[in-house]
Amino acid sequence: MTLPEKILALRPSLSMDDFVSPLETIRLQNDGNGRGDYIAKWNHPTLAKPTEEELGAIE
Amino acid sequence: MAAIKLTGDTSGEITIAAPAVAGTNTLTLPASTGNIITTGDSGTITQGMIGSGAVTQDKLASGVTSTGPAFGAYLSANQSVTSGVWTKVLCNTEEFDTNSNYDNATNYRFQPTVAGYYQVNGATNCEGSTTRSRVICSVWKNGVEYKRGGDQNYTNCQIASVSTIVYLNGSTDYVELYGLVVASTALFNGITIYNTWINGNLVRAA
Repeated sequence: MTLPEKILALRPSLSMDDFVSPLETIRLQNDGNGRGDYIAKWNHPTLAKPTEEELGAIE
Repeated sequence: MAAIKLTGDTSGEITIAAPAVAGTNTLTLPASTGNIITTGDSGTITQGMIGSGAVTQDKLASGVTSTGPAFGAYLSANQSVTSGVWTKVLCNTEEFDTNSNYDNATNYRFQPTVAGYYQVNGATNCEGSTTRSRVICSVWKNGVEYKRGGDQNYTNCQIASVSTIVYLNGSTDYVELYGLVVASTALFNGITIYNTWINGNLVRAA
């Protein structure tokens, strides 16, 4: 399961539109340095950013 | 007296002659040790003899252009990405890199050693991604999105491109190409030289 899929599963009210403009309240990023995908920005007005534990628990 | 002649110690002589025209002019010799340059000399004007800002644009011949850094690189194999994630484009094959300022192996960035204003262009092609619906392309400066270019938002969209001018300080500043694809299986297409690429050059020194 990819990072966006995990986030959408944990926060079902979100959609892919939250990751891209014009909303783009959440920015997911991969810098090609081996770190992989990560949450670079979380500016959603009501939903909390998932914790690493939450993300790690979901498959 | 129309001329002064200075005879060399062993041979030759120099004649300093006044022009045969009306008017009074003064020839002042420089207050430093060195040679006086004549119109018959070549290759004797050095960089240090030219004052800062002394050479103006209108004194340049037509066709004179910058020899500042220029680079071009492209993605030579498909790069798998995660749908909805801004991902650095790893353009790994150089077309040209005149000043060795593009890193095509580790950080995939252009970090020039000459300060100035750079034209930077790029394109991300997501052809090959399945059920694709979005592709975006941006130039990032120092790890932060700087200018966003194309944002293709329709079924089977294929290419987004970006073009901008950015100031780079010649030491720590760098630019990278990032893209975002929304698709069930997402990739940056690296099949050919013209699909996914970045290039740029100095357009004005700092």
